[in-house]
Amino acid sequence: MSNWERLVWNQRGLLWQGLAVTIEVCAIAFAMAIVGGLLLCLVRMHVRPLRPVAIALIEFFRATPIFVQLMWVNYVWPELFGWPNTFFTAGWVALGLQSSGYLAETFRAGIEAVPRGHREAGYSVGMSPFQVYRRIVLPEMLLTVAPSIVNQFTVIVKSSTLVSVITVPDLMLQAMKLVNIWYEPIEVLTATAAIYIGFVFLVSTAGKALADYQRRRFGLNAA
Amino acid sequence: MSEALVDALNPALFWEYRQVLLRGLAFNAYVFFSAATVALIVGLAAALLRVNRAWPFRWIGTLHVEVFRNAPDYIMVIWVHFVLPLLLGKLIGQRVEFSPFASAVIALGFVYSGYFAETFRAGIQSIPQGHLDAGRACGMAESTILWRIILPQVVRRMLPEAVNQFVSLFKATTIVSLIAVPDLMYQVSMVTQQEMRPLPLYTGAAVTYFAVIYVVAGSVRGLSERWRNKIYA
Amino acid sequence: MDAIPAIRVVDLRKNFGALEVLRGVSFDVHRGSVVSMIGASGSGKSTLLRCINRLETPSAGEVFIDGEPMGGPVTANGERKERPLSDINRMRRDLGMVFQQFNLWPHMTVIGNVIEAPLRVRRMKRKAAIALAEECLARVHLSEKGTEYPARLSGGQMQRVAIARALAMQPKAMLFDEPTSSLDPELTDEVLTVMRELAADGTTMIVVTHEMAFARDASDRVLFLHNGQIEEEGPPDQVFGAPKSERCRQFLSKKLQ
Repeated sequence: MSNWERLVWNQRGLLWQGLAVTIEVCAIAFAMAIVGGLLLCLVRMHVRPLRPVAIALIEFFRATPIFVQLMWVNYVWPELFGWPNTFFTAGWVALGLQSSGYLAETFRAGIEAVPRGHREAGYSVGMSPFQVYRRIVLPEMLLTVAPSIVNQFTVIVKSSTLVSVITVPDLMLQAMKLVNIWYEPIEVLTATAAIYIGFVFLVSTAGKALADYQRRRFGLNAA
Repeated sequence: MSEALVDALNPALFWEYRQVLLRGLAFNAYVFFSAATVALIVGLAAALLRVNRAWPFRWIGTLHVEVFRNAPDYIMVIWVHFVLPLLLGKLIGQRVEFSPFASAVIALGFVYSGYFAETFRAGIQSIPQGHLDAGRACGMAESTILWRIILPQVVRRMLPEAVNQFVSLFKATTIVSLIAVPDLMYQVSMVTQQEMRPLPLYTGAAVTYFAVIYVVAGSVRGLSERWRNKIYA
Repeated sequence: MDAIPAIRVVDLRKNFGALEVLRGVSFDVHRGSVVSMIGASGSGKSTLLRCINRLETPSAGEVFIDGEPMGGPVTANGERKERPLSDINRMRRDLGMVFQQFNLWPHMTVIGNVIEAPLRVRRMKRKAAIALAEECLARVHLSEKGTEYPARLSGGQMQRVAIARALAMQPKAMLFDEPTSSLDPELTDEVLTVMRELAADGTTMIVVTHEMAFARDASDRVLFLHNGQIEEEGPPDQVFGAPKSERCRQFLSKKLQ
């Protein structure tokens, strides 16, 4: 197994750096997706004049391939808006856009699943509509959709391999660099694939555990 | 910015390259249908393993699902294209090479077989045991029960979920350009290099993919709903 | 009465793990006769029925259909070898079964449900199967519903289609597993009427039921099961009129209140 040692273990520093960049991109994209998704969802549900715009954006983000969005953000946005100015930014923006579309719909389903009676109970004790939303509707919604949110994070991680195409130095790019140095792809690519699969497996297992925990604790059905 | 917009809306560029671009889109469809076939067949096999009574089969089925469902499409495409031929070559002691198209179909087919296996399994397990008993009580062979009673119901039950997965698969076909399968994205990047006008080209590609997915997936969803409503009234 | 009964059950036993559901049940069903099985839930009635057409594999004992044993031969060391499934399937064709939950196949029309087994199991021609199915649907008074999907039918209609589906295999005997138990009370009559007509036509039937009136009026023999054994057995007049067993008397008095 000297090949494994030479090509993978001895290069662990590079791979580790790559994984760190992957996690960084994914974390920023995830944060953007949650904020953006919530915003899109709230606009769609409660801001009547902007509703068509929100729907159009959600549908566009959802029905366009992530790779196409990435290319679009990377090559077209700088020309259109003068931003993003780095590949790294383009990477997380594209990942975040797609996921914000999906999460907007997840949030909407979660909000619609909150029974009307729960809101009415809030009004009946004298809470304002804003308080009802903040204290009752949103927390309940977040509880039911938490497993779907975790699932969306795994989607982001899987899609993040593509940011290597625009030279963001993530795990995938470091692996491809190593392959291009020695032209011995077997060990490096297999190890990289295993790292990704293992990482996504861990995250999704955690998501399932979270869903089970909530079902037990709050007697909720998974969204 | 306004100049750029006018530029983007100018159809002359697309008209000039219409044949190349359309051929690229056709390649997306070609990869999609081939990979979907692989995904459905392998996914069904994995699902049948997962509902098998013997635990080694169940275990293999579960491993299959967990590996492919958690694998990024892109690394699988790269792995199948660059690593799998070398491994196979070592195995049979001969040089093996996959065409980019074959690699794309194998990789995407297997990745999505993981998703389809789960959908199939959920569908199979949602069928009441009584429907199977009714078939057995008439003296039906197990294979007749599978093909006539289980699968037709599974297909109807899993349709909404399956449409979503087909959409994901179609979207994933865009990455095959990265191993030089001449799909629409590949052609777009080629034309971009010639014309140096990424804005209209990539915007056009995004809008085209969006339109295709939105229209096709929407109508398939509508049709499948009507078909399902006949049964689950 | 002929010598070979349509169904003969000999010392049938069934365990689910440590739980003994059937503890040695024996009885005969002669051709053209109707046997009703009554008893509290959990007494083993349904399991007995499911053991007869081998939806459950009995732990011990034997079932003979027209004199042919359903279980495999017993080997020298006393173990029973199961028959191949194809053999069991061949014998199952001769036993029509009607389930509590109807178990119609929802993706097929009514006529599709009825012709399915004749087509795929008996390998009939489509035309002949449809003619047969129409005849069977007429017997359950549902001729006009052939093109509907099961989801559009009432519970009583679904159960009658299920009866027609079983009849279409032209079985030697019909097994009914609580056919009216999941129906609203006002829908049980249409199903019981059909079953009475079948009984009057000389169909061999085993009926697991909670409908005491049906057991009393329509059957030739009544078996009362308790804890996996036949506690009381006889013609309906005797079982309902003068039960020997105390348990049977208690059960009936509760049921007939």
